[in-house]
Amino acid sequence: MKGDLLDIVCCPLDKHDLELDATEREDGEIVTGTLTCTECGEVYPIEDGIPNLLPPDMRDEAPA
Amino acid sequence: MTDDESDGDGPSTGSVRATYDRIAEHFSKTREYPWPEVEAFLDGRSGAVALDVGCGNGRHTELLAERCERALGADLSREMVATASERSAERGFDYGLAQADASSLPVRSGCVDLGVYVATLPHLPSRDLRVASLDELARVLSSGGRALVGVWSTEHDRFDESEGFDTTVEWTLPGGESVDRFYHIYDPDEFRADIAESGLDLVEFEISSGNCYGVVRPES
Repeated sequence: MKGDLLDIVCCPLDKHDLELDATEREDGEIVTGTLTCTECGEVYPIEDGIPNLLPPDMRDEAPA
Repeated sequence: MTDDESDGDGPSTGSVRATYDRIAEHFSKTREYPWPEVEAFLDGRSGAVALDVGCGNGRHTELLAERCERALGADLSREMVATASERSAERGFDYGLAQADASSLPVRSGCVDLGVYVATLPHLPSRDLRVASLDELARVLSSGGRALVGVWSTEHDRFDESEGFDTTVEWTLPGGESVDRFYHIYDPDEFRADIAESGLDLVEFEISSGNCYGVVRPES
């Protein structure tokens, strides 16, 4: 994901801002990292360049 | 269903996600082209920010990306989002992607000028969740924003029912294995009623190819 996606996305629970912590970047895009809600502190993972912004109770992998 | 709380006896959001995670690759190959109703809605429209809820492989997100400065495709299924990511890279489209739930959108309020929410609402397993997702669409649309909501309906030739109902529709994978997908098939009055119940106003309505389509805006 690109960093400017933060202008559009927010916490799915309380709709507050997210703070980016990028651990891996490639060609200016964030490949791995986290997005943390500045209000509730919920942490959303970014993996393979795609943020998982599902509410936490839906985040666990679905059964195969 | 082990990963998610189900609403009563109905299927869970998790089971719909598991199905699409499983069929994503094959499903994507059969969903090459945008729907003409979506193209017609987008004709002449543009904006700063666009949103495709239930973007699947991104075939409609691509159209939004062409018309708006920025576009975001959101889908419940990780594997579907992955197909959109691959497809957009292959085709040179530049838009954002996120794994997200339609009834709790991770999108800022009032920032979306142009939205597409087609073939997704019927997968939400209860009326409460379906109306909640329409409320979410109302929340994220800008004051002048418009979105197209499209659902499979009882007007389709394959259904005999005249009132909306829950069903499962099989997806057959190469090799013959079938995977069920939950659908709520809308009747047109019910579609209008769910939109009226939400924070959206229905601006235009049509039935086309067995689907109900509504152009919506936030309630004034």
